[in-house]
Amino acid sequence: MSSVYTQTQFGQPSYGGPSFSAPLPPPPMMPSGYPQYQYQYHQPPAPVFLDPIAFRREFASRLSQLTVNSRPIIQELSLLAQDYSRYADTVAELIEGHIRRVPSWAKLPAFYLLDAISKNFFDPYARIFAPFVVSLFLQTYSQVDEPTRAKMEEMVLTWRTGSPSRFELFGAQHQLSIEQGIWGSGGSGHSNGSQITRAQVLSELQFALGQKERAYQANPFDPSAQNHIAILQQLRKLVETGVSQTELQQILNQLRSLIRSTVPPPPPPSVVPPPSLQWQNQSFAGPSQPTPPTAPYQVNQPHPSGSNIKTESLPATLLPSVPALQDINKLLSLVKAGVVSTSSTPNNSTPRGAGASHEKRTPTPETIDLSREAKRQYRTAILAQKVKLTSSDIIRTRPQIVDFLYHRLSSQCKQCGVRFSGTPAGKKEMNDHLDMHFRQNRKADQNIGRGHSRSWFTGIEDWIHDSSDMKGKGRADGLRLNAAAAANAENAKRDAELRAQYVVVPPGDEAKPISCPICKETLKSEFLEDDEDWVWKNAVLKDERVYHATCHAEALTSTNTLAARLRTEIANASRGTTPESAPIRSTPLPSSSITSTSTSKSPSLSPLKVGGTKRKADDSESNVENEAAGTPPLKKLALSTAAS
Amino acid sequence: MTETGSNETRQWTLEPETEYRFELDPGTSLAIKLIQGNAEVFGAELAEGKHYLFGSECKAAVFTWQGCAIEMRHPSTEYVSEETPMVAYANLHIAFEQMRVRALAKFHGSPLPSGEEPPTAPEPPRVLVLGPENSGKTTVCKIVTNYAVRAGQSWSPLLVNVDPSEGAWSAPGALSIAPVHGPIPTYSPANPLGSAATSAPMAMSSNALLPVVYWYGHPDTKRNPLLMDRLIRNLGENVNDRFELDQEGRSSGVIVDTPSSFASSSTSNDHRQKLIKACVDAFKINVILVVGHEKLNVEMQRAYSSYVTVVKIPKSGGVVELDHSYRERVHNYQLHTYMYGQVIQAPPGMSHATLGGESLTDLVLSPSSSVIKFEDLSIFRIGAETMAPSSALPIGATRVVSEMQPVPVDPSHPGSGLLNAVLALLAPQNPDENERYDEEILDLTVSGFLIVTNLDMQQRKMTILAPNQGSVVGKTAIMGSFEWQEQ
Repeated sequence: MSSVYTQTQFGQPSYGGPSFSAPLPPPPMMPSGYPQYQYQYHQPPAPVFLDPIAFRREFASRLSQLTVNSRPIIQELSLLAQDYSRYADTVAELIEGHIRRVPSWAKLPAFYLLDAISKNFFDPYARIFAPFVVSLFLQTYSQVDEPTRAKMEEMVLTWRTGSPSRFELFGAQHQLSIEQGIWGSGGSGHSNGSQITRAQVLSELQFALGQKERAYQANPFDPSAQNHIAILQQLRKLVETGVSQTELQQILNQLRSLIRSTVPPPPPPSVVPPPSLQWQNQSFAGPSQPTPPTAPYQVNQPHPSGSNIKTESLPATLLPSVPALQDINKLLSLVKAGVVSTSSTPNNSTPRGAGASHEKRTPTPETIDLSREAKRQYRTAILAQKVKLTSSDIIRTRPQIVDFLYHRLSSQCKQCGVRFSGTPAGKKEMNDHLDMHFRQNRKADQNIGRGHSRSWFTGIEDWIHDSSDMKGKGRADGLRLNAAAAANAENAKRDAELRAQYVVVPPGDEAKPISCPICKETLKSEFLEDDEDWVWKNAVLKDERVYHATCHAEALTSTNTLAARLRTEIANASRGTTPESAPIRSTPLPSSSITSTSTSKSPSLSPLKVGGTKRKADDSESNVENEAAGTPPLKKLALSTAAS
Repeated sequence: MTETGSNETRQWTLEPETEYRFELDPGTSLAIKLIQGNAEVFGAELAEGKHYLFGSECKAAVFTWQGCAIEMRHPSTEYVSEETPMVAYANLHIAFEQMRVRALAKFHGSPLPSGEEPPTAPEPPRVLVLGPENSGKTTVCKIVTNYAVRAGQSWSPLLVNVDPSEGAWSAPGALSIAPVHGPIPTYSPANPLGSAATSAPMAMSSNALLPVVYWYGHPDTKRNPLLMDRLIRNLGENVNDRFELDQEGRSSGVIVDTPSSFASSSTSNDHRQKLIKACVDAFKINVILVVGHEKLNVEMQRAYSSYVTVVKIPKSGGVVELDHSYRERVHNYQLHTYMYGQVIQAPPGMSHATLGGESLTDLVLSPSSSVIKFEDLSIFRIGAETMAPSSALPIGATRVVSEMQPVPVDPSHPGSGLLNAVLALLAPQNPDENERYDEEILDLTVSGFLIVTNLDMQQRKMTILAPNQGSVVGKTAIMGSFEWQEQ
């Protein structure tokens, strides 16, 4: 990647260089007061690719970073796709390959990219994506979890009117195929007389509701929006309790015209945060790796669009137009004339909030039965084989081995070749397996340059007992082999990592004694020869204060009252002040380490490594000893007083 | 991903049920890519489009049930064979699966399909694989294990290695057991049965096995049969203890790989029979596989057919006659791999090959060298250094040192033989003094292997190469007859 950059005329380091002159269309609006640095941060220079191979490499490498719903990355990739629409085939191929390859939880962001590109640059991309979008979508849909499915359903609904002329984004036929794949043959209603499922109507209702809620948020003084929400919520209740097929059809038709009519031709810039932020945080709450790898490029706050690109998959803020009102009234009449006279009137249902959360789809309680059933089937099949364990029989019999090793196990991991059955249970195992690969790869990426070594063999007690960890379903895959030992090793590793963190001492402050707000111990400063910098070792900068990295991590993970208090303290501090104008500083703020993360409102997110991390085996070890020798009595005191 | 330098590559199309066999010369490597179809290397399936590397004089075969096309660079000896014993091995697998599902059904109380006669006490397969030298015993073990873990039933059979001349997943001289959860890849004779865990994250669970290891210390079972017997019984007890706690996991069964001396008629019959019996008893063997050896088959039938199923299975025509010097080199590869990991250079022009499913950088390990005082480590050897068999002693004479007695080794003694010796670092002794006994160190498991790389008599210090930075001070180690020097 770097080689590409150095060849370009810009000749500047990627990401966040101070001067910036990319051949991008100038942003149509630049909200006043919007911090300049952030804008630059998210708009890396677009290099010029003269040959398709360089472009492919660059696009692929950036695409591989798209593992979370990161708006800047999606934007960046969309712009690349726009600028190089002559390589549209390459873009399509890379995106398709990426979606098929990545673990299930990383597929959605890539779909958002596909969505953004095909909506914003309809020609040629929608046409090029169209041939594979159906199979890709349905395959992905079958692999992801429920919340992601809901998001995908939402996205498909926007595709109905996604083209510039407000027709189906990928053509009516493809839209129909996808919807049939999701909801059954009820499809998009184009085929009359077919069944409409309740799930489909509910999903579309949810979508309409979402639109209205956003409209209401954008314009809280519009009473009609509030009214619509109430009606839609009532409608949903109605559908949930069960209505006839014809009523479903009616509701659906009304809903469709409502949605279609509310999509205004030029999509207004969105002001909504990316839809799946929550989801993205969850998926990164892994214990081994507190900081998401793409953290610096991630926005954790509502972020006005800086260009004319609509990266949202949802048609964002939509104000109901006049025809929409009529439709709403039709819906209302449906409700009124309808089967139900619900106790709650439209007006006393809460306008927002209550309906905003997705209804929980109860996971089928059959999963256990399914796996038992699969076991039974396997047993029957294997016992039906006529093989006797004799020297002559094993040579004579034709085994149906191909059936057992290949045909019954239809899904195969592309990375290691391990197979799983095509049943839902098998798909879940496959997903877990892919997640395992992803975690391992991520660990491997972090470990680069650290060096590995052979572990000691397990002790006999551990060996005899560890089987209990594998009794459960699914494969161990080397992950839960020895829970205790693994946890210990993991802890030791994390501790070493924490102790290896440091914060660069701001020039001139070398002599000032600084203490950790948690343990009140003085932070030791040290001169790093490699970097020629004075640093505080085992230190982390959080909300303008320098903490011991170990203390901070402990405080975040522990559940005692002190930690809770500290958490609120941190939260308050970050909420109350902006980074630049913090009134109270227990430690001077190193100028070099301002990052955009300090506005994070969730202190339970792990501390970010500030100022880089250096790992040196000797370093960290001697450090451990130093620490151990002078373990802060103050810290223990503080903890015990807080606990009492 | 564009193919560059395709001048060197060659493609083979394999018909169903044939295999492509190759043998590598020292210092060469081979990369094989599956282009189309399905293929497996000793039961471990290859993923399509990935380059699989082989090195360290690896001799292996790519087999296909349904036909495939493969592409490779730089083999030394290669040919395609249509005669493989894979059908027989597949039937074995299916027969073992039947035993497993019956055992599991019994455990769960699940019904068997109608018409199925419920056996009184269905037992999972507990298999002992016997055969002469170069008959492919280890490969048979690997294939049936791989098929078991590929069945999609979450089996994790225990794989036992009682062949001290083979390292399996650790180092030669050791006897050990590891539960296997995923397919065992083949890429180097240094890791014939996968690899013990390292600190690196591994994509394949069989590259991060967690074995329990005992140290015998010699390549030859004749050297100290009593010790062999004792260690085999220790292993058996561990298996039983483990199954005691995991009745469900028990149904996956046990597969035991044995040394060729168990089959060879040149060894004294007496000790051979005793060790086979020790295995049958310790692991509650119910199936004995005899690989391509008529006489041994008859012998086993006579001895055990009343309670063990004895099956003769065909030997693969692909096995390579290995000479003594090759086995010596493999011991070197194994110890090197134990300390430094797998370092196999990809053929020129190849940048993204995988070794056993792992990226190359994750397989390089850094051992740790440290200088310790002589008294920091208590070193023993088991029995006297050279020992005549009991039968050679004068009638009525007893040994001064028994074969099983731990004898302290003094590093300051010039003839200690410690320089370059492989030591097995033992797990700590029982913390409760009352529980200790004289020969306890015979029953302690191994934590790791050390090499004495330097002895400084003046300073009374020695340099120890250890696999990681863990301290060895205050611990106990046993030496055997293996030596290793970095080359």
